[in-house]
Amino acid sequence: MSEENVKIAVRGLKKSFGSNEVLKGLDVNISEGEVVCVIGPSGSGKSTFLRCLNKLEDITGGTVTVNGYDLTEPKVDLNAVRQNIGMVFQHFNLFPHMSVIQNIMLAPVELKKLDKAAARAKGMELLKRVGLSEKADARPASLSGGQKQRVAIARALAMNPGIMLFDEATSALDPEMVGEVLQVIRDLAAEGMTMVVVTHEMGFAREVADRVIFMDAGYICEEGTPEAIFGNAQQPRLQEFLAKVL
Amino acid sequence: MHKLPPMGRRRGGTFAALAAFFTVATMFLGIGGASALSMPPAPAAAPAAPAAQTGIQFTDASGKKFSVATDTTFAPFEFRDGSGELVGIDMDLLHAIAKAEGFEVDIKSLGFDAALQALQSNQVAGVIAGMSITDERKKIFDFSEPYFDSGVQMAVGKNNEDIKSYADLKGKTVTAKRGSEGETFANSIKDQYGFTVKALADSATMYDDVKAGNSVAVFDDYPVLAYGVSQNNGLKIVTEKEQGSSYGFAVNKGQNQDLLAAFNDGLAKLKANGEYDKILDKYLAKSEVQEQGGFFQLVKDSFPALMKGLWLTIVATVLSLAIALVLGILFGFFKVSESKILRGIATTYVSIFRGTPLLVQAFFFYFGLPQMTGQPIDVLTAGVLTLSLNAGAYMTEIVRGGIQSVDPGQLEASRSLGLGYVTSMRRVVVPQAIKIMTPSFINQFVITLKDTSLLAVIGFAELTYQGQQIYASNFRTGETLLIVAALYFIVITILTQLSNVLDRKFNK
Repeated sequence: MSEENVKIAVRGLKKSFGSNEVLKGLDVNISEGEVVCVIGPSGSGKSTFLRCLNKLEDITGGTVTVNGYDLTEPKVDLNAVRQNIGMVFQHFNLFPHMSVIQNIMLAPVELKKLDKAAARAKGMELLKRVGLSEKADARPASLSGGQKQRVAIARALAMNPGIMLFDEATSALDPEMVGEVLQVIRDLAAEGMTMVVVTHEMGFAREVADRVIFMDAGYICEEGTPEAIFGNAQQPRLQEFLAKVL
Repeated sequence: MHKLPPMGRRRGGTFAALAAFFTVATMFLGIGGASALSMPPAPAAAPAAPAAQTGIQFTDASGKKFSVATDTTFAPFEFRDGSGELVGIDMDLLHAIAKAEGFEVDIKSLGFDAALQALQSNQVAGVIAGMSITDERKKIFDFSEPYFDSGVQMAVGKNNEDIKSYADLKGKTVTAKRGSEGETFANSIKDQYGFTVKALADSATMYDDVKAGNSVAVFDDYPVLAYGVSQNNGLKIVTEKEQGSSYGFAVNKGQNQDLLAAFNDGLAKLKANGEYDKILDKYLAKSEVQEQGGFFQLVKDSFPALMKGLWLTIVATVLSLAIALVLGILFGFFKVSESKILRGIATTYVSIFRGTPLLVQAFFFYFGLPQMTGQPIDVLTAGVLTLSLNAGAYMTEIVRGGIQSVDPGQLEASRSLGLGYVTSMRRVVVPQAIKIMTPSFINQFVITLKDTSLLAVIGFAELTYQGQQIYASNFRTGETLLIVAALYFIVITILTQLSNVLDRKFNK
């Protein structure tokens, strides 16, 4: 992996909430087109790590560099950086007062990337991609959980981001809806999108990940290929964790 | 007498004001030439003609126009009838004297204290407001001849046959107006006759207290009592009048002597030709024929005055809410901002206005602030200032609560798309917050509308104030308040329904 291919560079990342240190110094490089799955027990800092990558959380220490921009620099244009990072949340966070297509069109229109007609056309294309063309004018409240999450993915893609972050995107779904969402993520991976996926779906991680990171208690405990992590775990904490979840 | 501040001073005050009135009138009427100079709005063209035609002996006041200040309500000396016209003994006397002496008057109904202030600052030529002639007042005012002799009388319920004299009061409770001559007199004889005195704030309340049986008798000024009885207030007078003070018309010392002289001259004429007695009888004589009209007659009679009040209520409400909304949005956003300073400003504002009573705020803005700054403030401004700052504090909390009750994930999702804070608030958070806030806003709207009634205490002539004015002169407290309450209820119901319709329409 050459240095110029690195999309996200994390150095010595620390994050504290008050006196509670959640991230205790992480170092990670993520290359273009790489799919990284982050696994680990609850409270290990997975989600916080992900939220530091687009600075939804203030960074306590270390640096996070995305597309060459150091997010800890006070002068960095955070909004511009974020336009290139799509994020999908566990609880979808769709805007309930807007229709599905308005949810998707909001950012392109507000940020003047597209006029309304073009934004709508682009939105319809994204909806088709996630299989929800017929729901364009529905309100989010009328959708199932799986449909909501697919809309949320379409919304995150509307600004043509080069990176996608998934924060336990299937954890809030009924089991029969997990598959449709994972399929969309799988398709994105196949297209070569750079992705960081925090997940509890071990089978999925094993299938799509180029690399798996196992976090525990604020540290990266072990990382490697899916085969190495799931087939040949070194650390006792990882072995213990896998024994419980698999 | 309803307004708290002038009330205490009233008795004397009224008398004093009356005296002042007379004095002014007298001056107008005319006494003397020299003083004409001191009268600013004096004698434009004062032709001798009109006087000559009427055959009146002129005074220097004739042909001139004088401003005379009076109280707002002191029945039967000055009060507004159902149509809002200022009437009463003072008014009728002054107009009759002015006519007899050939001058004109411009009545300014200011309230007792304000009338005296206006006189001292030469904004008016004289004061007539049921004002007692006292030695203290004589130092700064010149009074006319007394035009009315007051004195304390005792009245009991119309059907009470047991109490006929002070001797029958043993072991009973009587009522008198706080700070009045009636109270002083009652206290002076209570040990001798063995009764208890309960002080109340105004005449209408005292009469209701007697009718309700809480007190057996009331001690009040003869004219006020006689007028009440003439209006069938449910009482009857059982004692002779105790010697009391006299009322006079007042001008500033050494000024407007023509007016003072004219007043005295005119008063003498009215007494001589019997018109004086006619005016007094009109307000004080008990006429058995004069029955109170029915409830619907009362509604009809009081309607114009109440509508005026309702209009002011609505004006004050709308202005206050508009300003409060701006304040609420501004400070509400301060409260959710990341700046400690802005949050501190908003928190301080809310603490002050939520942590002190609305009445205290109203008194402060109307009486306190002008004293501290020397800048007078009119009652509508003071009232709107009070209500908007008060409601603004509550709206701040409504706005803060509304914004904070929107799921934080909404802002995060919007920010993660690359939208800025302001755009995210405008497009994502605020539209959802408004929906949450709307019921609270409607609630605050209703509360503020009702709170305008508190402004009656600073003399703001809104609906409740108008109601008080009406029962102060007709003594039909219960019925009048029912009408007032019904008006509030109707308006609030209509506005609430309207708000709900709008809420449903825009907050689907």
